[in-house]
Amino acid sequence: MNRRKFIQLCSQACIGAALSPGLANAAEPDDKRRLQFMFAQIKYRGGDWNPHPLSVTPLMEELMARTSVEAASARREVTLADNDLFNYPFLYLAGRYEFEPFTADEIETLRRFLTYGGFLLIDDALGQQGYGFDKSVRREMQRIFPGNEFKRLPPGHAALRSYYLLRRIGGVRIVNPNLEGINVGTATPVIYCQNDLGGAWERDQVGKWINTCTPGGEPQRKDAFHLGINVILYAMTENYKEDLIHVPFIRKRLTR
Amino acid sequence: MSDLHLIGALPLWGVAVIALAVLALLVQHFIRLRQRLGLGQTAILTALRACVYGALIFFLLGPALIDKRVTKLRRPLTLLIDTSQSMSFPANAKSISGDKGAKSRLDLVKEKLEAGSQPLIQRLSRNYDLRVIRFGTGLEPIAPGSLDRLRAADPGTRLMELVQRAARDGAARSGIVLFSDGIANGEIKSLNGTALAAPVFAVGVGDTEGFTDLRIARLGAPEFAFRGREFKIELTVQAYGLKGKSVPLLFNRGKNLISTRSIAIDADPFEQKITLSFTPKDLGTHVFSVSLPAQPGEQIAQNNQKEFKVDVRRDKIRVLTLSGSPAWNYRFLRMAMKQDPLIELVSFVFLRTPTDTVDVPENQLSLIPFPIDDIFLEELKNFDLVLFDDFSYRAYFNPVYLERVRDFVRDGGGLAMFGGARAFDSGGYGDSALREVLPVELDGKGSYQARGPLQAALTAAGRKHPITRLLPDPKSNEETWAKLPPLTGMNQVHAVRGETLLTANDGAPLLAIGRYGKGRTLALMSDDAWRWNFIAVGNRETPQNHLKLIRQAVRWLAQEPAFEQVQLYPIPTAQPAEKVAIKLKVLNDDFTPARQASIQLRVISPEGEPTLISTSPDGEEGEYSGDFTPTREGTYQVEAEASAGGKALGRNKSSFSVAFSYGETDDGLPRPDLLKQIAEASKGEYLSIDDWNDKTFDKIAARLETIAPSEIVEQRQTRLWSNLWPFGVILILLSAEWWMRRKWGLI
Repeated sequence: MNRRKFIQLCSQACIGAALSPGLANAAEPDDKRRLQFMFAQIKYRGGDWNPHPLSVTPLMEELMARTSVEAASARREVTLADNDLFNYPFLYLAGRYEFEPFTADEIETLRRFLTYGGFLLIDDALGQQGYGFDKSVRREMQRIFPGNEFKRLPPGHAALRSYYLLRRIGGVRIVNPNLEGINVGTATPVIYCQNDLGGAWERDQVGKWINTCTPGGEPQRKDAFHLGINVILYAMTENYKEDLIHVPFIRKRLTR
Repeated sequence: MSDLHLIGALPLWGVAVIALAVLALLVQHFIRLRQRLGLGQTAILTALRACVYGALIFFLLGPALIDKRVTKLRRPLTLLIDTSQSMSFPANAKSISGDKGAKSRLDLVKEKLEAGSQPLIQRLSRNYDLRVIRFGTGLEPIAPGSLDRLRAADPGTRLMELVQRAARDGAARSGIVLFSDGIANGEIKSLNGTALAAPVFAVGVGDTEGFTDLRIARLGAPEFAFRGREFKIELTVQAYGLKGKSVPLLFNRGKNLISTRSIAIDADPFEQKITLSFTPKDLGTHVFSVSLPAQPGEQIAQNNQKEFKVDVRRDKIRVLTLSGSPAWNYRFLRMAMKQDPLIELVSFVFLRTPTDTVDVPENQLSLIPFPIDDIFLEELKNFDLVLFDDFSYRAYFNPVYLERVRDFVRDGGGLAMFGGARAFDSGGYGDSALREVLPVELDGKGSYQARGPLQAALTAAGRKHPITRLLPDPKSNEETWAKLPPLTGMNQVHAVRGETLLTANDGAPLLAIGRYGKGRTLALMSDDAWRWNFIAVGNRETPQNHLKLIRQAVRWLAQEPAFEQVQLYPIPTAQPAEKVAIKLKVLNDDFTPARQASIQLRVISPEGEPTLISTSPDGEEGEYSGDFTPTREGTYQVEAEASAGGKALGRNKSSFSVAFSYGETDDGLPRPDLLKQIAEASKGEYLSIDDWNDKTFDKIAARLETIAPSEIVEQRQTRLWSNLWPFGVILILLSAEWWMRRKWGLI
């Protein structure tokens, strides 16, 4: 046994010793745990801000089961006028229909939020390009970042590699096989999915999926969860996966 | 003894004309007398008149008696002997450098002057007003009998300047015999037609024919380089008498070989420019060398190697962060560091714990294995700072690796630990090698508690410390801290071992700093510092305070010069025997000037010999200085350590080079061309020492005689016409003629 092998065995033994408290910790209720992540959903005026009320908990459970992030299992509902909005650097904006324009204060708040490190995931539950929710989203984003339009995220974008190496964009339906985003500097603080991610995440009280994913079925739902996790980790680590130390590993795996 | 000389001003042709006229007169005189007198009487009277005329003509020629006295002088003579280091090189190809008994150029000069039963130096002392002067960088008269003690040790040859000075200082009619190899490295490289006041007989020492040497010339290397960035070295390799050979060029850092290159010598003389490159990984001053192995038959081995030092600096502070999980604290910490061009961040975020399961094959994950061995056994030394951000080693690697981190800090690295449920006691560090390193004491009981609001408050030390100085004005700084958003969670620690800069509103330490060995440490007992950034943005305040805090903490931990408490000022290159002033600045822990610091300043010679230097305060507050006089060439290390009131304030290191500026031993090829130029400019003569024999100096003496004789001739002149005797003789002759004429009835 060489030194390296010995140290690895010692390390594994140590990991085993550390598992028990970790498992116990995960079973604790939110108020007993130190939460690192809170899924905050924006409530807005008009339209339907809450198309999938039961979508967040399954995603949070998945997040905690797959990653080291300690997340609150329930979502936090916020308005853009809330004083504690900046306590939640990750915001989720979902809907089906057109909604009322944000006020000037709300626009300024969201601009500061997104410019100085906050993140916004937009999820279109209707899936009609140029209509309904999509129309309102594009209008409001133009007000927040005039002249800075949505652009398709390239396949190598850090959000698509922050945890899973994503090749497909999931959701209830595949309206757009790509994600769109708004870039500010080297970051993409706004990511927009038109495939109804929330619908794919949503599960009822007895654990049954509420919406069927078409045409890909369960693998497509899995892709939606993977995307949800990737986007959250991207928000918390930004372009960490573009650091040089990761590049050769990722390239190697993608070429297999 | 007197000699008769005709010194009259009348030209000879004039005398001849007069003589002819007189002859004609005498003939007429004879004819006239013959008509009245007999032949005998006529002849007598004509003879008497001829004598009178002859005497007059004789005196017209200016007869004078000249008395000569010759005085011999002791001619002034100067022997100039080159005692520069190049005169220690072998005199010719038969005397190879390093051979025992090899005859140096100076040895050959001594031999020529001292050999034989009648040594030349003795003859010269006897016959001349002899001055013997050795020269290198200056002129130094020596006794003729002390030639034996001459050593070729002068660091340079200011040949042209010193020959000019010796010629100017010499007495009238002096001569100079110059023994030199002609290597000149003073400020004047050529005489450019300048005439010399005395004739110089230049004797060239050292063979150019058959000169064999391999050398490194004209080395150009940067004084400093950046870690991780390639720098280039340009050098010229020259070779004489080695055509057809192939030699290796070795490039070393200290004793470690960096690279080799083969050089094919295809000409004589040979010259090739070479560029080498190196990418330094370690900070500090490193001594590099390029060298060529000595070749068989090579006369000078000293110039086969050149050393140079490069100060490797960081162009960036390299920070390694280990984050226990994705978290907002990491997000904003990363933002602060990534936006700072001075910081290079390498971060590992543990996205998955051993308890997390994945629903895809490993190759569909972007996770990379944490390179434990590479990081802790190989790469750690290349970082300036390690930051444990809510990270516990327990799930990922054996605690023995933390001993590496402890050693890294002890040797000068920085360590920061940011709080969270995986940090300090909660992360198991109370039982680890980092327990003694951290600036807080861990007792194994401290836990992480989510509570709030926790408002950060500056302590007395925090008000002055550069990490927590967000604004220059103390009052504005304190107000800024009071306005920062409160935090919501903290780690409990048993006590602070170092300095507390921030406390929570309940008095618990929030930010502490300390030292371990040569390194610096920091503990932030919260994972919530991101709120000082993003919540401030939400409050319409600036996020810059958080960014500035992080960047200042990184700089302080990495011991950036501006954050050093002991700062040594750069020392320029000095020459041996030249006084070097070593200056330093000392700051207290609160970064105010330390007025009463106790300084320990040491200079370590190239041989490793330490010398303690006493220091005294300078004019500026907190500044001190000490003097040191190096004795020999090389790289000297300077170590400064300061304390105040028994408490260590810090230490620092620097180095400086001591070298002669002449480069005397760089090129050993004799330069007879320069010696010929000197000889011509002075109307002297050049000759090779190989042509020197017993009679050589006689030839030099003869040549000197032609230029300026060494005798003085005194003359005393007695003019024969300028007294009564000539007139008396003429008067007697004329009286005799008159008496005879009267007797013979002509009157």
